[in-house]
Amino acid sequence: MVPENAQEFRDEELVALCQRGEGQYFEILIRRYMEKAFRIALDFTHDTEEAKDLSQDAFLRAFSRIKQFDGRSSFYTWFYRLTVNLCLDHTRRKGRVIWERLEKEADGAIETVELMDDSATPDQEAMAGEAIRRVDQTLDAMPKKQRTAFLLRNHQGLSITDIAKVMKTTEGTVRVYLHRAVAALRQSLVEFV
Amino acid sequence: MKEVNRKLESACRAFEADLVLYYYGDVAEPERHRIERHCQGCFRCRRFLDDLNRLLPQMAKATPLPADFWDGYYKETMQKLAAQEARGSWLRNLFAPMHVWLIPAFGTVAVVALAVMLVFGKSGWNFQWTPAQQVKIPQEVLADANKMEFFESMDLLESLGVLEKMEGLPQDSTGVRQL
Repeated sequence: MVPENAQEFRDEELVALCQRGEGQYFEILIRRYMEKAFRIALDFTHDTEEAKDLSQDAFLRAFSRIKQFDGRSSFYTWFYRLTVNLCLDHTRRKGRVIWERLEKEADGAIETVELMDDSATPDQEAMAGEAIRRVDQTLDAMPKKQRTAFLLRNHQGLSITDIAKVMKTTEGTVRVYLHRAVAALRQSLVEFV
Repeated sequence: MKEVNRKLESACRAFEADLVLYYYGDVAEPERHRIERHCQGCFRCRRFLDDLNRLLPQMAKATPLPADFWDGYYKETMQKLAAQEARGSWLRNLFAPMHVWLIPAFGTVAVVALAVMLVFGKSGWNFQWTPAQQVKIPQEVLADANKMEFFESMDLLESLGVLEKMEGLPQDSTGVRQL
């Protein structure tokens, strides 16, 4: 059983406990990061079930490799890297093309709630749906590193320093990726802005 | 979101990348002031920044999911973790220190099995030469073989010459001609 005050433990303390064989403390880390892990997987896959499986796999992998975590970076940076790598592997393996998803969206399988006002007219809704499709299309067509940098900054709110650690690159490179991604997205939404 | 038909203008080349970082709050104080001062007098950069302020937060807006979903997610993850642990412990038990003897035992069994197979299964190992197993002879070697035939025929001709020479020679008591 995990003591009640364990919720207040820092990540490093929880990881140290897990490394000493007290694996039950890992459940606090799951609670702490499950939403972030799921959201990032969803940004990559656009599919709830796949995102769920991938983010859960990330937790399983993190747990099985917890002894390899050397504390050189923070736990969440390490965990983000693991999750992002799983997502990239998944998309690469699946070789998914955007057309597949566009067909699903046309069937109404994916809810289009973003970029949309509650009081929107049918015309505005249609346009918002088109804008969402355009954003997804642009993101999917983007080089993976640009997309990863953009999703981690814009959707996950990670700092440039942390993104550089997750992507194992320099901060300057992340800035370049971010700028290119934003410029491409703005360009793709030219008729909506 | 309204559709606006306007030509997309990019920001000033020297500022565009910085404007993206400015939007995310990733610029240092002096840089921030420099960008703000520039935007006061630059319509294009101001518009670029307005676009970012309008578009980027919308893209990041996540669909809220009910608490039930997260409860189910958590339970499912814990179940998967328990299943992974159970699989791991089975393997750990197998190779636990108390069962270290299993490794040489497996090795011994494998060696004995191999030996038995080689000794008693020998009759089943008859190796037969089939055309499919014939080695393809390279052209260079074949050419050499032809040369050999040539030399053999030369030897034959030479032998004939010797015989012809021997025609006129006297024979000994055994009927062999003396060269």
